[in-house]
Amino acid sequence: MTVPALRVSGLSVWIGSGADSIQVVDGVSFDIDPGEATGLVGESGCGKTMTAMAILGLLPSTGVRVSCDHIEINGRDVSRLNTAQRRKVLGRDIAMIFQQPATALDPVFTMGQQISAVYRRHADGNQRRAHEAMLASLESVGFERPEEIAQAYPHELSGGMRQLSMIAMAMVCKPAVIIADEPTTALDSSTRALILHQLQQLQALHGTAMLFISHDLGVVRQSCRNVMVMYCGRLIEKTDCQNLFSHARHPYSAGLLSCIPQLGATRPGRISSIPGQVPALADLPSGCHFAARCNRSEPRCSESTPVLDAQDKKGVACFRPL
Amino acid sequence: MMRETWQRLKSDPYGLSGLIVVSVFFLIASCVWSGLLGQGWYEVSGTRWEGISAEHWFGTNLIGQDILQRTLFGTATAFEVGLTVTICSTLLGTVMGALSGWYNHSWLDEIILWLKGVLDAIPFYLFAAAVAFALQGSPWAMHVAMIVTFWTTTARIIRGEVIRIKQRGFIEAARAIGLPGLKTVFRHVLPNTFHLLLVQASIVFVAAINTEVILSFLGLGIQDGVSWGLMLAESSQEVLAGHFGNFLAAGTALFLLLMGFNLLADALQDALDSRRIVR
Amino acid sequence: MLGVTFISFLLMVYFGPDKTYELLGKNPTEEQIREVRHELGYDRPFLVRYGDYLRELVTFDLGLSDSNGEPVAAILARTLPVSLALVLPGFVIGNLLGLALGLLAAWYRGKWLDKLVMSASVVGMSISFIVIIIGLQILLCTPYGLNLFPVRGWQVDGPGSYLYYVTVPTLALVLVTLGYNTRFYRAVMAEEIERDHIRTLRAYGASPAEQLFKHVLKNSLVPVLTRIMFSIPFVVISGSLLLESYFGIPGIGLVTFNAITSGDQPILKAVVGLTGILFVVALMINDMLYSLVDPRIARP
Ligand code: SF4
Repeated sequence: MTVPALRVSGLSVWIGSGADSIQVVDGVSFDIDPGEATGLVGESGCGKTMTAMAILGLLPSTGVRVSCDHIEINGRDVSRLNTAQRRKVLGRDIAMIFQQPATALDPVFTMGQQISAVYRRHADGNQRRAHEAMLASLESVGFERPEEIAQAYPHELSGGMRQLSMIAMAMVCKPAVIIADEPTTALDSSTRALILHQLQQLQALHGTAMLFISHDLGVVRQSCRNVMVMYCGRLIEKTDCQNLFSHARHPYSAGLLSCIPQLGATRPGRISSIPGQVPALADLPSGCHFAARCNRSEPRCSESTPVLDAQDKKGVACFRPL
Repeated sequence: MMRETWQRLKSDPYGLSGLIVVSVFFLIASCVWSGLLGQGWYEVSGTRWEGISAEHWFGTNLIGQDILQRTLFGTATAFEVGLTVTICSTLLGTVMGALSGWYNHSWLDEIILWLKGVLDAIPFYLFAAAVAFALQGSPWAMHVAMIVTFWTTTARIIRGEVIRIKQRGFIEAARAIGLPGLKTVFRHVLPNTFHLLLVQASIVFVAAINTEVILSFLGLGIQDGVSWGLMLAESSQEVLAGHFGNFLAAGTALFLLLMGFNLLADALQDALDSRRIVR
Repeated sequence: MLGVTFISFLLMVYFGPDKTYELLGKNPTEEQIREVRHELGYDRPFLVRYGDYLRELVTFDLGLSDSNGEPVAAILARTLPVSLALVLPGFVIGNLLGLALGLLAAWYRGKWLDKLVMSASVVGMSISFIVIIIGLQILLCTPYGLNLFPVRGWQVDGPGSYLYYVTVPTLALVLVTLGYNTRFYRAVMAEEIERDHIRTLRAYGASPAEQLFKHVLKNSLVPVLTRIMFSIPFVVISGSLLLESYFGIPGIGLVTFNAITSGDQPILKAVVGLTGILFVVALMINDMLYSLVDPRIARP
């Protein structure tokens, strides 16, 4: 059995303190193997980004509480590291690609400066070697003239080029894991295809594990083999993409799928075919959070909470799955 | 909205203490106006530079006037200046801001903007001194100088707000049902900006009191009566001889009042800041 | 620039004190009045006089002081360096210290250090300039305090005496501006720290020092520089006006103050013009710095 590149178990996040605190991530556990891409889908506000930020340890220390059993990267628990040790991990072993490349890059430094700074921080302080690594990374994401990109400021690049540069920055230290948070949402559809293609290529080349966060099932299907569905802070179904599309087991997943009018060409979807509304995180119902909207619910759904087997690749948190 | 603000203010210990301090001073000022306190500010009731005693709590000044009485009276002066300047400049700023916001991109807007730019560009004390000198002899010179310079920030706020609300279109709706334009501005915009105005007003108040002190000190301020600024001006010579009565009394009173206002302004701003970070 | 000079001209010259009667003494005849007014140029149309004024400014032909007949240009040349020497240290220290404290408070936003710094700055903002000056004098210049520095005056002939005379005014200036500066810089820095690209830095393991001193600082340079550049004219004129009239230092502020109280128009006109020039220069340097600092603004 291989050691998973990323193992998250029992991750929970609360916002606020004391009695007022709201749980936004509830006992999230999953494994991602090297070279594997796993999608994390759900509506906005369901806790996807919170999960990612918590894995990286980027949540503010005040007003937010995080607890987990462990978070392992290549078998090494990084959840108990102190700040200085954690800094060594971030960008070297695990890197993040953000949704808005326009704001996620520093406007007053060139792309080259920003990428080589990451390399020099983690791999090699030598200026020249960092420069070479930076150029190589830019080339590996498909830029034909990496020197030009290196000298450009973010505002001089198009959205797609910025995101490719961001990917080059993520890949410059060849991390074991990358987390991509809606990396294509801000881009048009032709650029989107290019970015997804590049991500897959790089993953295959370096055996990088990827956690791909999106609200868009179509995009996830294009880029990931496995998928996890999140609802109100909990993972409710884990399976592979093929299976989800052909045979979704959780009623919420099924509802999500039916909201996609046409595969591939999806717009940020309104979940119109699921009756009712997402419950407020401040007062979630006990038991299955989906019970009030579920047409298969029965009394026990609100009495006890359906769980899904923690580190398995497949599972469903439902008492009466489809 | 008002109630909510008040609720937040009440739960903020700093803001509340600021409010209390300001209220106490205002009470003192009211008592002076109604003749209950500080009436003996001009009487020579003792000998020069008396120390602290039961009769003269804060001692006496150069010619034997009671410093406590003068400090109390100075409170009234401070409020007089502060209130006059704050009210007038807020009104002026509101009208100017509303006009230039409503007719934005017109020549009127251009002129008002230009005027604002110019006024902001002239170093204030130079300007105030010039106005005070130009209106020489008028006891209102100082007030005028402050009013004509302090309205600009208020006007900027109101202008921005008017433009913002104008774009939101519900003014159009109001116009569609027959309310004339500028009147609508006052009906709809002002209630929405009242809070901003309140914060700005307390900032202006602080500036006014501060400026009064400095101008009085330069001999361009209060002409008759007594103010903390005049007391400090007096004290600047006395302290060299070791008589701290004036300095301590006026300095402390001034500090407390300014502090009260600053805390209040901060608390108001916090209470009004709806973009509270919940992340 | 035109605006500044225009308003000030209007105010000081047109509505300003009329020299006619001063020159003529009591009970002048109609004839005499007209004569003197003509001599002084009071009878010419407003715009013509304004035009003359602008010409004088541009050519630095500023005329003679009314009070002592010294050329105004010479007075300015003599006093301006004194004022600069007086306010510069306080200005620089006040801004640097404010920047440092603002950065610190913004980084520890919401923590006790932030609260401490912000409370201190409110206290600082609440103390009047005059109180600070007098208080410092008591503490540092009189036998009741440390008695280390002179109460007033300015007889500088070397670094030692410069320090001797400049310390107390500098401290006063720093204390007065520090509260405002700190608050301003904290607001700017707090906004910058919130930005997405700072979050990116954290996600890539940048140290706090790298985040703050490399990225936050460089990104916030535009508002910071703007504030610094635009406060220069104010500090040079307003700041020196107060400091000098209090400490009896023969700089441009004292000259201005005396000119205001004695109605010395040529000097006032020159000072106002100077302010305008300072303002325009600040504006130009500011634009230049912008394009150096921020690549999004076209590089020349
Ligand atoms: S557990 Fe019950 S309520 Fe929840 S999704 Fe399954 S069937 Fe529906």
